[in-house]
Amino acid sequence: MRLGIQLLLLGLLLFAAPVLVGGLFLKVDRLGGNLFFRWISGQFLIWAGFQLICVPLILREETFPQVVQLFSGYLTALVLLAVAVDIQRLVKGKKIDLPWKKQQTGGKLRESGMLLWAFFWAVLLFQLIQAVRLSYADTDDAFYVAISSITQEAETMYQKLPYTGGATLLDARHGLAPFPIWISYLARLSGMPAVTVAKVVLPVALISMTYGVFYLFGRVLFPENGRQQALFLVFTEVLVLFGNTSIYTPENFMIARSRQGKAALGSIVIPFLLFLLLLLLKKMQEKGQVPAVYYFLLCAVVVTGCLCSTLGALLVCLAIGTAGLLGAVCYKRPGVLFPMAVCCVPGVLYAFLYLVLE
Amino acid sequence: MGSDVITLFREYMGTGMLVIWFLVAVIYLWMKEEKRYLRISFLYMPLCFLFLYFNPLFARLVYEKAGDEIYYRILWLLPVSVVIAYACVCIYGRLVHAKPVQGSFFHGKNQLLGELFALCAAGILAVSGSLIYSSPLFSEAENLYHVPDSVVHICDRINVPGREVMAVFPLELVPYVRQYSPVTCMPYGREMTVERWNYQDPLCDAMEQEVIDLEVLVPLAREAGCHYCILPAERRIQGDPASYGWIRLAETDGYVIYRDPAQELWNPETESFQ
Repeated sequence: MRLGIQLLLLGLLLFAAPVLVGGLFLKVDRLGGNLFFRWISGQFLIWAGFQLICVPLILREETFPQVVQLFSGYLTALVLLAVAVDIQRLVKGKKIDLPWKKQQTGGKLRESGMLLWAFFWAVLLFQLIQAVRLSYADTDDAFYVAISSITQEAETMYQKLPYTGGATLLDARHGLAPFPIWISYLARLSGMPAVTVAKVVLPVALISMTYGVFYLFGRVLFPENGRQQALFLVFTEVLVLFGNTSIYTPENFMIARSRQGKAALGSIVIPFLLFLLLLLLKKMQEKGQVPAVYYFLLCAVVVTGCLCSTLGALLVCLAIGTAGLLGAVCYKRPGVLFPMAVCCVPGVLYAFLYLVLE
Repeated sequence: MGSDVITLFREYMGTGMLVIWFLVAVIYLWMKEEKRYLRISFLYMPLCFLFLYFNPLFARLVYEKAGDEIYYRILWLLPVSVVIAYACVCIYGRLVHAKPVQGSFFHGKNQLLGELFALCAAGILAVSGSLIYSSPLFSEAENLYHVPDSVVHICDRINVPGREVMAVFPLELVPYVRQYSPVTCMPYGREMTVERWNYQDPLCDAMEQEVIDLEVLVPLAREAGCHYCILPAERRIQGDPASYGWIRLAETDGYVIYRDPAQELWNPETESFQ
């Protein structure tokens, strides 16, 4: 019973709230109403808010309950705002685009490859079961998961040695990427031990989210062919499942160490960023307008990159800079560089803070 | 520096087969892809990232500021899985919509030809890599905490409500203890398990001897303020623990828990010494 309530609360925090919040990004693209797009973009806005609230409090050596209070307030405000937007939208008669909906092409319903979709979902389910059933021995958990457990238990953040437990001065460098504190937040709110949230619940949510990003890629790459979308997803599953060519690949991080911020960076943040950049380039090719809310989402992705890993700031800014320059040159639209540079400002600030605290 | 970057790239590639398929997919898209935004995303951007990765100036900068251990993460910017999967599906699409030569076996069976290709491509990709669950680091989880049962049972046994305790554990349990129980402190932690970090600790050395010499271990454990000492049950011990004042508290999951009364342990809940 208790476990059921804890799982329900985590389901609300990890799925329902992001899906609602994602409603704020409806105008980013035609895909804006898609359930997966809403889930992932909403989660990025939530993560970005967590980073912006948490890091200053960590650096000021404030307590964890203050983070819980402020972030809960932020989350509640976001959800209320998003619900209001959704209600307004429903009044206008628009609906949410469901991922399993058959797609209309040329006036005919094309075969959507039900067998391939069924195979994809079955293999995804297998991976999620494995994530719960199997334990991966990675000694980095002794740092990241221990920080989550310590924070859930204690009042302080990054002021205890995770390996041994002695008190220490503030570990500001790691405090700049407080992904483990977000896990502590989930644990504190749900009442589930942080170690279980990190190693059992989060892998299920984050592995699903990674495939959500792949699904969005499929929707953009094969917009009119559900069968090819399904086949694309099956190929990504093969590449993930057999991607154990070394311990450094994002596929390996995703399956084996999804509770660590760097795994989220490699398997969710960077792929979603590349997806957003693909959308931008596509809009530039179609000579379409890029809505301001797109850049807001891009900014949230940059901040989330900083939440996951201290190297995240460099990687996301590198990707945005490269795409911006190539887009500006190839499509002769230098005007795109300014908003993209503005999106990188939070990343540059965090990188500067990192260098100062080094 | 240059050789370090190349070595790291080799380690990242592992067998190298999937990176080869990625390059094949990139070459295929170079020749066949007509949409410019896809060429930028799947060709030009990855090439820029590879150029940056192998650029010695960039590498030196990142090495200096972020350390050498994480430089490989630049390669995460390469959308390897997406590009390979996209190229495969594009080839599948072309086969399905192609016009086979009159009289050939596949004439009128384009769908079959496409599906055969997809099946073969998936098989080749699978054989080129290695199943992630075949890693020896995966094992059946023993509980909902994904830490060994022994850690759960030992920590539950030694923990005192409302305070921290100090305990010394065998190295194989050390990485898990504080994930499960943040109130269990240890004189040394995971840093001792990473060889390349070269940490030394006399207490750890004493704990990891084939035959544990209590003459050496007990003073070191007391110096570190350990309330408890956890020893593998099968490990041979030189000396009688009782003669050093140690109390055999319990034996669980192949480990013996010793309590050292020389270290006072106040229980704030019962307001008495343990």
